[in-house]
Amino acid sequence: MAVLQASANAKDYLGEAIVAGGMPGSMIEAFLPEIRKWHASEEPVFQTHIADRGLSLVAHRSDSSIVVEVERSTAEPSGSIFPRLRGFTQTLASQSDLGDSLTTGTRFVQRLTGFDRVLVYRFDKDWNGHVVAEDGNGNLPSYLDLRFPASDIPAQARALYASNRIRLIPDVSYAPVPIEPAAHPQTGAVLDLSHSQLRSVSPVHLEYMRNMGTAASMSISILVNGRLWGLVSCHSAKPHLVSVAVRDACDFVVQSLAMRISAQGYAEDAASSVELGRISARLLASMTEGPTWLEGLADSPDDLLAQVAAGGAVIVAEDDYLSVGAVPQEKQVRAIVDWLKGRDDGEIYATASLGSEMPEAIAFAHVASGIVAIRISELHPSWLIWFRPEVIRTVQWGGDPHKIVQEEGRIHPRNSFDAWREQVRLQALAWTEPQLSAARDLRSAIVGIVLRKAEELASVSAELQRSNKELEAFSYSVSHDLRAPFRHIVGFAQLLRERESNLDPKSKHYLQTISDSALAAGRLVDDLLNFSQLGRASITHKNVDMNKLVVEVVRSVMLGNEGRIVDWSIDKLPAAWGDATLLRQVWFNLIDNAVKYTRPREKAEISVIGSLSNDVTVYAVKDNGVGFDMTYSNKLFGVFQRLQRAEDFEGTGIGLALVRRIVERHNGSITAMGELNKGSSFEFALPTPRTKGRAFA
Amino acid sequence: MPELRPILLVEDSPRDLELTLTALEKCQLANEIVIARDGAEAIDYLFSTGTHTGRNAGDPTVVLLDLKLPKIDGLEVLERVKKDEKLRHIPIVMLTSSREEQDLVQSYELGVNAFVVKPVEFNEFFKAIQDLGVFWALLNEPPPGYQGHGAI
Repeated sequence: MAVLQASANAKDYLGEAIVAGGMPGSMIEAFLPEIRKWHASEEPVFQTHIADRGLSLVAHRSDSSIVVEVERSTAEPSGSIFPRLRGFTQTLASQSDLGDSLTTGTRFVQRLTGFDRVLVYRFDKDWNGHVVAEDGNGNLPSYLDLRFPASDIPAQARALYASNRIRLIPDVSYAPVPIEPAAHPQTGAVLDLSHSQLRSVSPVHLEYMRNMGTAASMSISILVNGRLWGLVSCHSAKPHLVSVAVRDACDFVVQSLAMRISAQGYAEDAASSVELGRISARLLASMTEGPTWLEGLADSPDDLLAQVAAGGAVIVAEDDYLSVGAVPQEKQVRAIVDWLKGRDDGEIYATASLGSEMPEAIAFAHVASGIVAIRISELHPSWLIWFRPEVIRTVQWGGDPHKIVQEEGRIHPRNSFDAWREQVRLQALAWTEPQLSAARDLRSAIVGIVLRKAEELASVSAELQRSNKELEAFSYSVSHDLRAPFRHIVGFAQLLRERESNLDPKSKHYLQTISDSALAAGRLVDDLLNFSQLGRASITHKNVDMNKLVVEVVRSVMLGNEGRIVDWSIDKLPAAWGDATLLRQVWFNLIDNAVKYTRPREKAEISVIGSLSNDVTVYAVKDNGVGFDMTYSNKLFGVFQRLQRAEDFEGTGIGLALVRRIVERHNGSITAMGELNKGSSFEFALPTPRTKGRAFA
Repeated sequence: MPELRPILLVEDSPRDLELTLTALEKCQLANEIVIARDGAEAIDYLFSTGTHTGRNAGDPTVVLLDLKLPKIDGLEVLERVKKDEKLRHIPIVMLTSSREEQDLVQSYELGVNAFVVKPVEFNEFFKAIQDLGVFWALLNEPPPGYQGHGAI
């Protein structure tokens, strides 16, 4: 074993000159057997203390060589470290709040090392730093809650921090000592000092420290699950040396904190997974129980929002729009959907700052700075979008983060360390991974439900088609076979009457009754068939001149009511959008009824009125007839429902049922108002082509 | 005055047959009335096949055809007549109980000359038959050059 390279000041520590090619000197040689043993083992470092000389000796591997670092060790707080560590771990175990644990850690490190200020510096996802815990003796200003831009600790430095957990600069004004020779005598490579504790640091860092007014520093990396979570950073206004044993104890403390942070993270994830699981299950139940998944979701607004901890949510489809909680206006939401359509994000899109990606969204940033959008269907685009409001935060930076001084082509540390406040706008709280995964899960659930409902619907519709076919066959055969016997009865009764001209009045009456009954039955069959055909026939929509229809209907109704005196008042009617034949049937039945039920009046008054408003046409027929008791108004439109005795007013009880069916098949509606012995009024409303949905009378 | 060719009445129901015949009688038409009780018989008569092979009379002046018939239904009889080069000029009137729109549409597509739904009211029925008989048997002129089939 021979020395390859040695620092120029080795003699100051080891008492004899150490040169390249020579022996490491008696002090190190005494430990050679132990070092060999260590080198063969898997321990990362070899460490020993030479008490009588007040030296610490630490060795680590660097490729095939061994780097031995020797430093003067101050008097140890010695045996007292371990009981104190035990106290620390016990405190840690009793704390449920992570912030408390971090504060306990800083206090412990501060007391153990004697640094003026010890703080925990936490990285955010963009590597900006935030001081989340601090303890100190007042010699240095407090940095608690200050933030530092990512550029303060550049990527190369962070990589180094991740591999070498502990760094110490006992005196910022130290004079660097060269290693001789600078290059490895065989390979020519510069010695890799990444894992060295006593290596010199970058002059940039030293300037940074001087700017902060600190003369000594130590930092220990907090690695959580392999990622650099933060640092425990210690500073003193004056040079400050910390022994190897104390540094090791600090390392132990920081590693305990790291485990605590990791456990906390897992516990939070697990708890939130359990809670999200419960919410998902409830939402799923609601979606499957609701008439549609859409309404099911809207029925559970709290769960829908809790699923991703949102402030509002909307479900947008071509014709449907449902919202819960705080959301932008519908046209703004539709603008977001259009914007989303123009992107190719796959099934899910999430941002915590919509305004910085979609400039139009700045206008409604107060409700929609954060969005998670999931797309439900490729075929009929529908979206579920959650919103989070803007959270305007006031952030205290350690100096203006936007002023990074460029000097001689490289980033120079900032000169000012006055706190600088900045308001962060257009930002919502970030979506967490469990929340996004809950959103994805919900999407799969919805897609599953949509598919299953589609299958159910397909099978129901096949079933319906079959039963419709049966019904058609049934009514076809009724129309042929049921009518014939009535025709025969009427026909033969007539023939008999013609043949027997000398029948006595009673026999003639019997014959007439036979004929009348068969005729009535025949009409009933015709009406019923009409009614059932209406359910199947397709409606052809055209512009229908209602004035013409009404004039023609009035004329043909009056043909069968000769001798009646009716005072007609007929408005100019707006055109309707519908099937002329069917609408004629509506007018015929309503006007025929009006004439029929005004029969007891010497002078019947019947008015027909119509109007157009808000894309709905409304028509009404009013009369001064016998009217009806409003108690029975719900029975008026039922099949075979009659409110009058047959001997007073003839009828099959199908007319108004037919009217309602026709109006409803036009997506319209009909209502009736009446007063006994005063009159009645039937009003029906039809949608125009521009109306969406049903028109209400 | 066109020569008196027979009226072919195709009807399976004995009661309808009786009523229709009574109605036609009252019109006092001189035309012979040939009766077929199902579609197959009607086809045999029209095409001079089967039991009607070599019939002597000319083609009917009008066919009153029920829609629902045993063996071969009215629509098929209609279709076969209207597709036949020699017979397609014979007027065919559908006489039916059915108010089904599909029957009406199909009949007109197949070239029916008239479609009459038998009214329940006897007087109306009687009037309809009478009108039909008079129109088709007396007033309707066959297309020019039309020679009653087999009446040479």
